[in-house]
Amino acid sequence: MTGWRARMAPYALLAPMLALVAVFVYLPILANIRFSFYRWSSLSPTWVFVGLANYRRLFADPLFWSSLGNNAIYAVASLAVQVACGLVLAAVLESTLLPRRLSGCFRVALFIPSVLPITAIGLLWQLLYQPAFGLVNAALETVGLGQFVHAWLGEESTALLSVVAVSQWQWTGYIAVLFVVAIRGIPRELYESAEIDGAGLIRQFFSITVPSVRQTTFVLVMITIFGAVKVFDIVWIMTGGGPNNASQTLGTYMYRSAFQTDAVGYGATIAVLMFALSSVFGLLNLWLQRRGE
Amino acid sequence: MMRMAHWRRAFSPGRVVVLALLTLLTLFTLYPLVWLVLSSLKTPYEMFDSAWRLPEVWQWGNYRTAWAFGLGHYIVNSVIVTSVSVTLILLAGALTAFLLTVVPFRGKALITLFIMGGMVLPPEVSLFPLFRILNMFGLYNTYGAMIVPYVAFGLPFAVFFIGAYMAMVPHDFYEAATLDGAGLLRCFWSIYLPVSLPAVAAVGVIQGMRVWNEFQFALTFIESDSLRTLTIGISTFGDALRVDWAVLMAGLVISVAPVLAAFLATQRHFVGMAQGGVKG
Repeated sequence: MTGWRARMAPYALLAPMLALVAVFVYLPILANIRFSFYRWSSLSPTWVFVGLANYRRLFADPLFWSSLGNNAIYAVASLAVQVACGLVLAAVLESTLLPRRLSGCFRVALFIPSVLPITAIGLLWQLLYQPAFGLVNAALETVGLGQFVHAWLGEESTALLSVVAVSQWQWTGYIAVLFVVAIRGIPRELYESAEIDGAGLIRQFFSITVPSVRQTTFVLVMITIFGAVKVFDIVWIMTGGGPNNASQTLGTYMYRSAFQTDAVGYGATIAVLMFALSSVFGLLNLWLQRRGE
Repeated sequence: MMRMAHWRRAFSPGRVVVLALLTLLTLFTLYPLVWLVLSSLKTPYEMFDSAWRLPEVWQWGNYRTAWAFGLGHYIVNSVIVTSVSVTLILLAGALTAFLLTVVPFRGKALITLFIMGGMVLPPEVSLFPLFRILNMFGLYNTYGAMIVPYVAFGLPFAVFFIGAYMAMVPHDFYEAATLDGAGLLRCFWSIYLPVSLPAVAAVGVIQGMRVWNEFQFALTFIESDSLRTLTIGISTFGDALRVDWAVLMAGLVISVAPVLAAFLATQRHFVGMAQGGVKG
């Protein structure tokens, strides 16, 4: 092997991977930005440059705002249940209240929903919410809460929250397991000396566990918010954004615009906004993290 | 000493409450799946009868009917797409990680930044442009329409994860091998790849799960039923069976079973892997 060839070898080997990432990961983001300045449908071959018209239309579109609101509800619920309750759950699982082996069993059981295929989960919960034979209404009637029976996914007032609840069911155990990993990194002595000082378990949770897992919390908050901005699968499978757009999110609205109502430029504008939102939250999180140290 | 403390608290009220709450939570998590299995063995009439009752005669025939819908075909597609994607992600990812962490060359920092940057770009917002790009390459509605984007979006994480592992391998390996006149590829294939197998395996499981369960690309980039993967297959299956609920449930059980079995078989390693997954 000559010296020149040896020097060039790493570049030659890397070239296909770089091309792959450039074309399929970076290029689409740029293409979206470009599409968002045009009015264009896949039926007509002509693109009409419209400048910021798509953005003006977006900010005046009530359906955009209600979708964004739904994403916000999704985010707040996920932060409260998955992150906050997930941390409490992890602390309980790692506490001295439980024997090791038992806590291991709970951990595995609670993790299970997160590995199941999303379509199976969506269809399963459609059946669980089914008004005539679903388990949700049956359970409510069994415990004497019959007046709360709903056609959960069919009513505008309950559709979104019913879908949000499924995501909490699916992901809380997963988030809790990630917190378990973080809690295991905390030196045992901290808890032992707190106990000697007479601090109870709740006190220990707030003054040792919460501050010690700050790093993990930041990461999980970010992941949860990203997930809420992009949420598509579960909503699309369970309600398709309906009934009457009641559970529409940015992801489903974007999909509908780009692939169903053939408003490609408009769909791209929504996509750019989703990207911008997750970037803003990403940067904000980074900034907070820097400041917190 | 810790043990003693455990025992003293063995029957404290706090402990009982915690156990009760956790049991309730676990029931809430798992009972829907139990209900799914039980309902899948009922007749359509029994289903409307009571949600809690066991099936009178276990209707195993529901599973035969569900299978006859072509679920096997979707599973074959999922196996093909997942195994090809994961193999490519692992090979390309490990090779890239090797080049970027072990081999010295100019411009490395920039290339590393470029590839790692891919981790923060969400595939969900790229849907329509990707659809056009795949069309341009003639990949739309082929296995490649799933495999190529899966590999592209899986690569940055694989490089990150395997690279972190390779960075811990003593550097003398590389110097000794190159002094022996071994080429780059041989050094990678016979030293660095085998040494980093634990990291490669972890990435394999994480990406395998991701690809097997992926929904949006598989929904958007595939048109022919004969190419559909299981995740999309079950939803078409669900649309076709809007009345035959018990059969639909049998189909759902069939689709959930392989993933659940794979998880339970590997769950020992999952805590660490889940942590890795998050870092991506």
